[in-house]
Amino acid sequence: MDASQLLKGVLDVAVLAVVRDADGYGYDVVRRLRTAGLEEVGDASVYGTLRRLYQAGALTSYVVPSDEGPHRKYYAINDRGRSVLEDSTKTWRTFADTVDALLDRTGAAA
Amino acid sequence: MSAPSLSRTRQAQDYLAAVEHELADLPADDRSALLEDLAMHLDALAGEEDERDIAVRLGPPSSYAAELRTAAGLPARSSGGAASASGLRERIDGLIASASFQRALPALREIGRLVVELRPAWWVLRGYLLVLVPCLLVNDGVRDVPVPAPLGSDELGFVLVLAAVAASVFLGRRKLPRPVGVLVVVLGVVLVGVSIGVAQRELDQATYDHFAASQPTSAAEVPTERYPLLSRYGPVTDVLPFSADGTPLRDVLLFDQDGRPLKVGFQEWWADNCARVLDQPVADDGVAVPNAYPQSYVLDPAGVDIGRSNPRPADSCAAELPRPGVPLPTFPADEAPAPVAGEPTEPIAPAPGD
Repeated sequence: MDASQLLKGVLDVAVLAVVRDADGYGYDVVRRLRTAGLEEVGDASVYGTLRRLYQAGALTSYVVPSDEGPHRKYYAINDRGRSVLEDSTKTWRTFADTVDALLDRTGAAA
Repeated sequence: MSAPSLSRTRQAQDYLAAVEHELADLPADDRSALLEDLAMHLDALAGEEDERDIAVRLGPPSSYAAELRTAAGLPARSSGGAASASGLRERIDGLIASASFQRALPALREIGRLVVELRPAWWVLRGYLLVLVPCLLVNDGVRDVPVPAPLGSDELGFVLVLAAVAASVFLGRRKLPRPVGVLVVVLGVVLVGVSIGVAQRELDQATYDHFAASQPTSAAEVPTERYPLLSRYGPVTDVLPFSADGTPLRDVLLFDQDGRPLKVGFQEWWADNCARVLDQPVADDGVAVPNAYPQSYVLDPAGVDIGRSNPRPADSCAAELPRPGVPLPTFPADEAPAPVAGEPTEPIAPAPGD
């Protein structure tokens, strides 16, 4: 199965989860997602998702000037983002459990 | 490493510009936020030890932009929702960049040049049409081609056409403000549309006139074997001779100015709807005399109607069909008219064989 298709559906949750742990700038979020195992995540998908979550009021952002290297725009989760993440987590768990159960049953039957 | 790093900066700039181009139709705040992120991202990538091209690491700019849009929940580029004038421009740019368009480009340039060269001709034409079309639309029975005659005056039409052409050329040579230019183009299209409509109508009329004029020519204005003698009222199918005192004559032989037997057509239509055939007198030599008048008809032995399709028994037909009434002149009593026909002073043709 193409994991990138699945990724599209859970990218919101994944990005929110990454910035819940610590504020992050775009490239940082990409790297953390990849390090966590979502290696196929596209840079543009992450930036697009950050933009959408920011527009939806789930994230705030701030720019950190840097003497060496470029300035960085950090994204931070806020209360709204946390509540979205909470809801999404529940949805994901239910969904994953359902699919797990379905797969286990199918596997036992085979 | 200065050369590679320079080229990578250049690469990053190009990439950023390409993505910006792809996002041109988005609202300004979305676009600038996404581009700001990308610029920082490219800076971050530049600091890495990765020697791959940016387009390899991030994918082609168009894919990157499309992915950004999808993830950000923004409309795809081709969707009409956000397609403003700039979106249309982007699409036109895309079309221009396509290979098939590039192949067709020389021909299109040629057409473009031709159009530009023909513009003055259009300026003249539209000035003329501007006067001509309203004149044609007014159905005043005055001839409007080639010189329109408003209010029935060719001179006025001539002056108006000159003025309109001059104004049109003046307008064409000027650089007009955009709204005015668009208005002029729209009016031009309307003018052409109305002109085509009027031309169509005039052509139909001309075709009808021609048809109406040509129809009698073929049917009744050219003598044929069937109708050898024509009058202004159509084919002559009989001649009814009378003597000067008003007596109807029979078996009168008629000849033309050159002595040729005068022949007329065969009458097909009869008031009682019964078909009839000619019953011409026969000379001694057994040859029918075609120029004996009035013509003598007898009922068709087949007993059919004039359409020769339905039976028509003889007893339903009139035995004798009356001659039409003729206005006979009266002559002065003391001036006796020429001798009565039937007693020719000098025989010029064989008498009928009866």
